[in-house]
Amino acid sequence: MIMKMKFTFIFNTRRRSLAARLGGLLLALLLAAPARGQESPYFVTYDDHMEEPGNLEISVLNTTGVRGNGQPAYFAPYTEIEYGVKAWWTAELYLEGQKTLNDGTIFTGWRLENRWRPLARQHRINPVLYFEYENINEGSRIKKEVVGHAEPATESNAELRRAHAHELEAKLILSSQVKGWNVSENFIVEKNLSADEGVEFGYALGVSRPLASLASARNCRLCRENFVAGLELYGGLGDSRNFGLKQTAHYLAPAISWQVSDSTTLRFSTGFGLTSNSAPVLIRFGYSYEVRGFRDKVASLFRRKQ
Amino acid sequence: MRGLAAILLLGGGILAAFGAQNADYRPDDGWQAPREAAARSNPLPAKAEVVGGGRKLFVRHCAECHGGDGQGRKRAADLVLPAVQEQSDGVLFWKISNGNPRRGMPSWGRLPEPQRWQLVLYLRALRPDSASAGTSK
Repeated sequence: MIMKMKFTFIFNTRRRSLAARLGGLLLALLLAAPARGQESPYFVTYDDHMEEPGNLEISVLNTTGVRGNGQPAYFAPYTEIEYGVKAWWTAELYLEGQKTLNDGTIFTGWRLENRWRPLARQHRINPVLYFEYENINEGSRIKKEVVGHAEPATESNAELRRAHAHELEAKLILSSQVKGWNVSENFIVEKNLSADEGVEFGYALGVSRPLASLASARNCRLCRENFVAGLELYGGLGDSRNFGLKQTAHYLAPAISWQVSDSTTLRFSTGFGLTSNSAPVLIRFGYSYEVRGFRDKVASLFRRKQ
Repeated sequence: MRGLAAILLLGGGILAAFGAQNADYRPDDGWQAPREAAARSNPLPAKAEVVGGGRKLFVRHCAECHGGDGQGRKRAADLVLPAVQEQSDGVLFWKISNGNPRRGMPSWGRLPEPQRWQLVLYLRALRPDSASAGTSK
């Protein structure tokens, strides 16, 4: 009896301690440096924004799929590490996993992505070239892009993790600023080097706008200038053997981003499936933290002392 | 073997990334705004609230490279110098909007246009002969 009480006390104390720490973390997040605004709310669509040179951005994101249309309910977290190599070159590494309801939890692989801005100046339409290598398995559900045809997911995670996919993906990103709106279009081509599937196609379109275009002089967290609202439309366009909309998934997703602090952004989006092959709802959530001057900080560790 | 190749590829990419930065700032004579852009004037009034917003934007977006006082760091220009301050509002706006990616200056075209003009207003407030930032004119 005493043992049980002791255990309950320790458990409750630990839970309180954990709650206090989480509360402290949230408080620290909200009390951090003031917001700077204008981070894109997109999860799938890319605009022409490149990471500032020498900065590192670490993001923890999640895609949750709601059960329906032959798709299971799942939770697919992923981590994105983005580095500004140059003002015209951004490199990213992704690590991803997933947990399917009534099934196991698996690591689904990694991706290495590079984006290049070929033109030195801003134009009406700003192109960015995107190239990605994916070392994933068929269990991947983060839906960072939607390409090809959509099929009902009937296999278990144990089977899916055995089917490796080495994929190359290229995107043409076009992005414009029109009267305070960002309008972005992505055209996607993907080739699975591990299977004879032909070349798959997809698209992503996005429009977004900050809720205020002038920055106020005061430091504030909930000012309208710190919020960007947007709408994404993305989906597959079949493959080189069967190009078109037949048996493809498409989503319409309102999204919002909130620059909580100088270095922290929260993003949220709810995507609604538009076809019978789409998951009914995709809920996405992201937290990003930017380490400014990361390159200089690392370089200073190796600098010889005077 | 494939895993090793991937690790080498990743490691090589990261090393290349660290080595690919500018070492020192040098003015770029080829970075010239078109005449039409240079002729634009700032549509915003130099009111304290507006300049103050520009100061906030400067601290958040620009100070990391140009310094909190705008006097530049190793890779970025000293914005207080006459060579910068003698440029027209239109030129400064164009340079903020376009950046100079090949020389490490990012494009800030994703900021709403009024915010870029706010930055120009604040740059003017950095002039030594200017009244302190945030005063009405």
